[in-house]
Amino acid sequence: MTKHEYVTLAHGNGGCLMRELIEQVISKPLANSQLNINNDSAILSGLNITGDRELVMSSDSFTVQPWKFPGGDIGSLAAHGVINDLAVAAAEPSHFSLNIIIEEGLKISTLEQAIESLARTCKEHDIAVVCGDTKVVPRGEGSGLYLAVTGIGTKPASIRLGMEQIKPGDKIIVSGSVGDHGAAIMLARESFGLQSSLKSDAASILPISRALLSFSGLRFMRDPTRGGLATVAHEIKHATQLGAILKEEAIPISEAVRSMCEMLGYDPLYLACEGRLVAVVAADQADMALEAIRQSGDYTDAAIIGEIRNQDDDVCIETEIGGLRILPELENDPLPRIC
Amino acid sequence: MPSHKSNCAKHSSNSAKRWLISGHVQSVGFRPYVFKLAQEHDLHGWVKNLADGVEIIASGNSHSLAEFENALLLSPPPLARPRLVSCDYFSGKIPEKFSIQTNSNEKSNGHGYVLPDFCICDDCLQELHDPNNRRYRYPFINCTQCGPRYTVINSLPYARCNTTMHSFELCPACATEYNNPADRRFHAEPIACPDCGPTLEFRSGNESVRSNTKTIDHTIKALREGKIVAAKGIGGYHLMCDAHNEEAVARLRERKKRPDKPFAVLFPRRGSDDLTMVRQHADTDDISADMLCHARRPIVLVPKADTFSLATNIAPRLNQLGVMLPHSPLQELISNDFDGPLIATSANISGEPVLITESEVERHLNKVADAFLHHDREIIHPADDSVFSTVSNKSSAIRLGRGIAPLELELPFELSAPILALGCQMKNTVAMAWDKRVVISPHIGELGSARSISLMTQIIKEMQNFYNVTPQIITCDAHPGFSYQQWLKNQEAKVIKVLHHHAHASALTGENNINEPLLVFTWDGLGYGDDESLWGGETFYGQPGQWHRVASFRPWKAAGGDKVPQQPWRSAAALHWSNNQTWQTDDTDMAYQAWQKDINCHNTTAVGRLFDAAAATLGLVNKATFEAHAPSWLESIAEGKGRAVTLPIEEDTQGIWRTDWQPLLELLNNNNSSIKQRSADFHSTLAENIIQQALLAREKFKVNKIGLSGGVFQNRRLSDETIILLEQHGFEAITHSTVPCNDAGISYGQIIEAINK
Repeated sequence: MTKHEYVTLAHGNGGCLMRELIEQVISKPLANSQLNINNDSAILSGLNITGDRELVMSSDSFTVQPWKFPGGDIGSLAAHGVINDLAVAAAEPSHFSLNIIIEEGLKISTLEQAIESLARTCKEHDIAVVCGDTKVVPRGEGSGLYLAVTGIGTKPASIRLGMEQIKPGDKIIVSGSVGDHGAAIMLARESFGLQSSLKSDAASILPISRALLSFSGLRFMRDPTRGGLATVAHEIKHATQLGAILKEEAIPISEAVRSMCEMLGYDPLYLACEGRLVAVVAADQADMALEAIRQSGDYTDAAIIGEIRNQDDDVCIETEIGGLRILPELENDPLPRIC
Repeated sequence: MPSHKSNCAKHSSNSAKRWLISGHVQSVGFRPYVFKLAQEHDLHGWVKNLADGVEIIASGNSHSLAEFENALLLSPPPLARPRLVSCDYFSGKIPEKFSIQTNSNEKSNGHGYVLPDFCICDDCLQELHDPNNRRYRYPFINCTQCGPRYTVINSLPYARCNTTMHSFELCPACATEYNNPADRRFHAEPIACPDCGPTLEFRSGNESVRSNTKTIDHTIKALREGKIVAAKGIGGYHLMCDAHNEEAVARLRERKKRPDKPFAVLFPRRGSDDLTMVRQHADTDDISADMLCHARRPIVLVPKADTFSLATNIAPRLNQLGVMLPHSPLQELISNDFDGPLIATSANISGEPVLITESEVERHLNKVADAFLHHDREIIHPADDSVFSTVSNKSSAIRLGRGIAPLELELPFELSAPILALGCQMKNTVAMAWDKRVVISPHIGELGSARSISLMTQIIKEMQNFYNVTPQIITCDAHPGFSYQQWLKNQEAKVIKVLHHHAHASALTGENNINEPLLVFTWDGLGYGDDESLWGGETFYGQPGQWHRVASFRPWKAAGGDKVPQQPWRSAAALHWSNNQTWQTDDTDMAYQAWQKDINCHNTTAVGRLFDAAAATLGLVNKATFEAHAPSWLESIAEGKGRAVTLPIEEDTQGIWRTDWQPLLELLNNNNSSIKQRSADFHSTLAENIIQQALLAREKFKVNKIGLSGGVFQNRRLSDETIILLEQHGFEAITHSTVPCNDAGISYGQIIEAINK
């Protein structure tokens, strides 16, 4: 980090550079007892609300090229993104604020469609958008449309989730195939002009998180967005020093994602999902938790994909033949290393 | 060979002297040799092991002392490599006789040596097959002239208590031999016999037998039935099966997920020179025959003979075969009893270190092996079989392993601070240098795997313990993504990053002890360059610490990241697309668009990828299933004399001569010529290009020494042809021999480069 004088695109890819930027430049001056950069949301413990519930707040901003893609658009993505961030904190979202930054020249109809789609998603989840702000920036100073959403919800006070709850031997569950969103966006953005069944997985994961909350062995949930599944494992490793082994055969990956990655030379474990949930669950409850996920909706691909290992172990993937390949932390412009 | 001459001052009559000797002197029969020599010269005093060597005190008349001293380093036992550290007059008390003193608890001070493992010696071989000997058919027979070393040593000094043999208590008969200076098993640390030593265990399904005799019969029976047996050896397990049994070999390939990678073959010793059976299937020459029979017992790559009649799927579509003779008494018994060639391939998971424990092997290979042959002598350090080849009438190391490593080399000057080199991502070895010594570790594997990284860190720790050195400097590759970068972050030593191809050039210069500027071609598959491209076709002029990149190839863009080396078609496509030509478009349309849009693309100048491109263009290999798959099939298919095409060389804006690869496409796509011919033409064209570059360099730098380094030069056809041409043009070709030309030599090269920076 210290080597960089300017922000690069890699500072936003979810990998090690981004973590360093947040740690060293952003969270340091802001430091307070409630700011935890390992979580996408915060429990507002100072604010009393009635009963045995706590307030939870989360915020996210969205920019995506193209704004519309198979399986969603920037509006639904923004709503799902904040819903999911609250869901993995065990919260039920209730209120959103919406900031819109528009670049001069955007088609009004595009804006209409995006907001319509956001509104529809909020309505489906009984969420009220209660305040907001709109700015227009001159042409060339933004890339079309940015949405920034802050969401508030409540969670049962008795449930404590977090990386600090994770223990060696815990199982890792994913709710469906990984990498679909990242692959679909890439395909749509580069307009490869190919017929493909690729579709973003963007969706609310609230049904899944609700189904898991009853498990005492539930330790931690995360939606694997930027940097994908491998990056979630690295975030756990970074916060707890605990390694992980993911089982190659067990990880659900759709054929379309697989073949696109094969062709472009990408690893689907690093591609973003926008409608998947990764849960870390005590080993003895993992099978039941998996069953609960499957019962909660159309989640037939959900699977136990690995387990948490010991202190100082690596983040690895176990190959079909029993090899243990290290999954490196997402790098700045990964260079080939095989000769 | 003695590497230092005695430098003692002139002696007076009747005096006593003290010699300190280091080098390979412990448990190789050196002390009994000194004892015998002292008695012959009527001297008294003693000889004893120190932590790092041997101390000799001898007193007698001056004439005898002088003769003793002259003889001391001249004709030591075959495995001994004594080096004189110091020689002084001694004024202490001298006993009345000459004796071997046995106890010493001194700590290592960095002068100790860890010897590699040795193959069974002739004396032990004779006893092994002698029904009247008490070690008749005992699979762990050894003496001071043979047996395991590195793989069983825990710490120095080399004594039984510091090896994995410490748990076997000596029986009276072995103890007598061990303590008798006149016996060749005097202080043979791994000494063992059927009464007190390790035992074999055979397991198959629910059957389990512990015995040193029946287990071998069971193994032979299983092998004859076409089964696959995982047998524990010196440095790890081997997977074995009948090399004549095509179906068994196919099953091994299927289970190990190794569709094409060649397997090594273990032959029984037959005939007066042990090689009669080898010769039925492989054409050995004097050099390969010597290597095969050498005490190191490596795998040697030898051309297949016309009479080759083993299973065709052992080394499919290759014209070479990896051959070895038995190195351990156990292998001797198995291969002798089986009476035919056996596949003997490392029992590992692709790219990972060879497996060494019973539990690991049974867990990871339970679906690969039908039976297991274990034994209870623990292996501490894994060591794969070493691999050698013959290039231009010279033996040439490809993999450093059992029998070779740890490999010791001497530095041109004494270091002020110890340096550790971390080597490369693939074919990793590490190296430690201090004083005037460099020690290179055995082959560790591909660092992308957790087990390799953990073995790498274990070996580093052990090197520090063995030699009592702490590195103050760590040198490593400049590539930011190599798997050891994470480990490196937690180290306190100063870090010196070395460019991959500088390390290749320096390894070559160091190994050949060259002290003047030379021109080095470093051709391989990939290395991080300082211009944001991936190098691999670079030519340097200079010497370690001062390499100038004087020539390279015209860079081309390839798409697919790490998929490029795994899928040779990508290199072929990249060259065709760069040249505005089409490449078969069945399912490559998306790759083409990615290539056009710069998605996951990198610029490269790697000659290794030109070989990939050639193999794919000729329709030989589209997807590689093992490293160097495409280049080795390309080399094997070449036949006849190649017709070289001249590749244009132009100076770029930075003054680098760039060879244009473009005419290669025309050559490769010329359907009027046979594939065999086109492959030969491709090799000749690259050899010719080296000459053209060398001639330019001669004109500019007056240089005559031309070095060849990098994995591409494992290609015998290219190397042999290039060296002949170089000599025809009056150049002196400098090549690797002891240090591998491939990435296994990088750790050593990093040391040479770093100490000259």
